Amino acid sequence: MNAPVYLDYAATTPVDAGVAARMAQCLTIEGTFGNPGSSSHEYGDRARAVVEAARSQVAAAVGAEANEVIWTSGATEANNLAIFGVANYYRDHGRHIVTARTEHKAVLDPCRELERRGWRVTYLVPERSGIVDPAQVMRALERETVLVSLMHVNNEIGVVQDIEAVAAVCARHGGVRLHVDAAQSFGKCRVDFASSGADLMSLSAHKAYGPKGVGALLVSARRGVQLEALQFGGGQERNLRSGTLATHQVAGMGAAFALATADAAGIEAERGRIDALQSRLWRGIEAVGGVLRNGSAALCVPQLLNLSFEDVEGESLLAAVRPHLAVSTGSACASATNEASYVLRALGRDERLAESSLRFSLGRYTTEADIDRAVLAVAEAVTRLRRIGGK
Amino acid sequence: MNYSELTRRYFESAGAAGVLSGDCVGRGAAGTRRMGTWVQFDIQLEPGIEPQRRIVAARFLAFGCPHTIAVAAWVCERAVGTFCAAALPEPAQALCRRFEAPAEKLGRMLVIEDAWAAAAAAAAAAAAAATVAAVATARVTIS
Repeated sequence: MNAPVYLDYAATTPVDAGVAARMAQCLTIEGTFGNPGSSSHEYGDRARAVVEAARSQVAAAVGAEANEVIWTSGATEANNLAIFGVANYYRDHGRHIVTARTEHKAVLDPCRELERRGWRVTYLVPERSGIVDPAQVMRALERETVLVSLMHVNNEIGVVQDIEAVAAVCARHGGVRLHVDAAQSFGKCRVDFASSGADLMSLSAHKAYGPKGVGALLVSARRGVQLEALQFGGGQERNLRSGTLATHQVAGMGAAFALATADAAGIEAERGRIDALQSRLWRGIEAVGGVLRNGSAALCVPQLLNLSFEDVEGESLLAAVRPHLAVSTGSACASATNEASYVLRALGRDERLAESSLRFSLGRYTTEADIDRAVLAVAEAVTRLRRIGGK
Repeated sequence: MNYSELTRRYFESAGAAGVLSGDCVGRGAAGTRRMGTWVQFDIQLEPGIEPQRRIVAARFLAFGCPHTIAVAAWVCERAVGTFCAAALPEPAQALCRRFEAPAEKLGRMLVIEDAWAAAAAAAAAAAAAATVAAVATARVTIS
């Protein structure tokens, strides 16, 4: 039996072979294994040079300055550092945060923790398309607001927020700091930290053919945003994130980001290829009937396609396609919590449709044959389950 | 979620999915699609005048999780040849254990139990009606 078709690139991507080779160079006795914090010998110097080169690579790939890159263990830590770091530093200015109901848990859970500590959080409800209207942000801002946190590309439906417009709203409101979770963005759409107007931006390596366990928080130098550190012990990363840097991870992220931006023509061609594959997938599955697209096609990145299926129970749908496909579901039934996707619920889908959704995410290694197998697997599963369900 | 081999087998085959029609067939359903679980059984009893009759065929339709579909399919298979009764071949809790369903799915097993009881009652009524009709036809023929 063939291995299931992997269509879960939004969950994680395989590490690029060149990236893996670069990482391996930082591990063994022959390589750059030194502690980048060791300034007393050449091994440390060489490791530090690797770290700084990677910092420059990431910065160049996302339109930032190298001194704006703070290494973290991933986007979750970057989100935590941004939210708690700003909240702790500016707590005397006010205790109010604005975010959206459709954010990743790595933003929502820190916000809920702040609520437990006495902060107020406004959770904006996006339009049905998934877009947060900048006017909503404007209405939510208060004198007490110290941070707005909104994601760039939504991890479930792929809708792209107009960050520049939100940043303009924040700027007009006395420079309220804007944090952007861009974990899903890099490699899927243009990311330009400088022109985005954001003060803080979270990045992840493993969504872009880099390794798991490393990410970065971009902290705008020009806008002078301040953070309080969350961990202490060594003073690395400008005292914002103490701890010995994982040279191989950092080098891997740098290499992955450099590779992704090295060939402009290739990037354009790949975007067109993914676009065509997504259209093929949508047309094939749409023909089954009773399929609803979550998120507006015109506003979403082509790598993600989120669909709800009428008259099909979510957990059974996932179980039926599982032998053939690796996809994500909008149903948390599979984890026995019986909770439908809060993102789709926030966008107005009823509980049944939110549960019976599948997220297909395409990537570098997706082929036409994969798409055709996926269409066949979904069509068979949906048809069979509807027949069993008397529809 | 990982499913037991038994659950996977009956979910994937769902051999008894469908409906029945004809004499001595009763239908019962429970649950709602809106709430996430709906099950319908059709039970066909042997013809005759005995108060207790055996099940000759059973079918199900189900909108629900893999455990729901697998258990409904298993119940239909197991029931054939047994005397018709309101109770399932095994109680809901035992079915949970047999199919290694998590405890929070007991409610779905109870929906299956309710659907089965309704179908069994309907089948008994249909069989009794068929018997009355047959006796009436026989009297007309004799007279």
